[in-house]
Amino acid sequence: MANDWEPDLERLLDEHQSMVFSLALRMTGDRGLAEEIAQDVFLELDRQTGKIRSPEHARFWLRQVTMNRSTDALRRRKVRGMDLWVELEDGHAVHAEDRVSPVGTRLENLLATLPEPQRAALILRYQEDMLPDEIAATLDAPVATVKSNLQRGLKLLRAKATSNLREFIRGA
Amino acid sequence: MEHEPLDDFERELKLTLERRPAPPSLKRRVIERREQRRHPQTTMIWMRLAAALLIVALLGGGLRWGLQRQEERRQGEAARRQVMIALRITGHALNQVNSRLTAHNRGGE
Repeated sequence: MANDWEPDLERLLDEHQSMVFSLALRMTGDRGLAEEIAQDVFLELDRQTGKIRSPEHARFWLRQVTMNRSTDALRRRKVRGMDLWVELEDGHAVHAEDRVSPVGTRLENLLATLPEPQRAALILRYQEDMLPDEIAATLDAPVATVKSNLQRGLKLLRAKATSNLREFIRGA
Repeated sequence: MEHEPLDDFERELKLTLERRPAPPSLKRRVIERREQRRHPQTTMIWMRLAAALLIVALLGGGLRWGLQRQEERRQGEAARRQVMIALRITGHALNQVNSRLTAHNRGGE
């Protein structure tokens, strides 16, 4: 019964730390910052446990707050005049053990160059396997905007990949 | 709303965007920070108590210092009054001596 469910921070950490960390990492491109965001998100969850009604609500809440915190962190960095993706291009932000394949790493780096709303939509679509209406609810944006961001983002990423990755030329 | 079938590029993207494992220390750090956040609440109570005691001590010290100064002022005033009385008595005695001497001198002439 969802009504009997009580949030337990340690269990939620076990279940969702990978999701929260990955979302923050792909939005910010900075492992340290992503870990900091993930910590803050779970501590905020611990403060808000009274408002969390079900496991699904907890997952939705974690995704939403992680995306918001990541966007805020990116804006703060822009204000400070730091270029996050310089770190990614230099290979400092992605740990060696994270690299699935050179193509994957390259594709992830190209994803990082997309405009923030398109990147957010694509991350939620392909990392979290979410539908446009679910993404819209998470990002608090109209479904039409999310669909547009998904289409434009995918088109732009495909174009960048075509010119950057020979592996995709045949598939494009 | 359902997922549309993915093409090769989207499949590659989906593989690339698989969730990464969180750093092993993440859970421990969150739990530690939660404990730290709870701990300062008791520290804050002690700090407030110490601040209140300090304020009481300062007020008490100030009050005592004020009372001491008032007492010293009162004692000084009493001493001044006594000196004035003594001077008045002395002046009166001198005047009497002076009068007698004057009368004596007149009698002698």
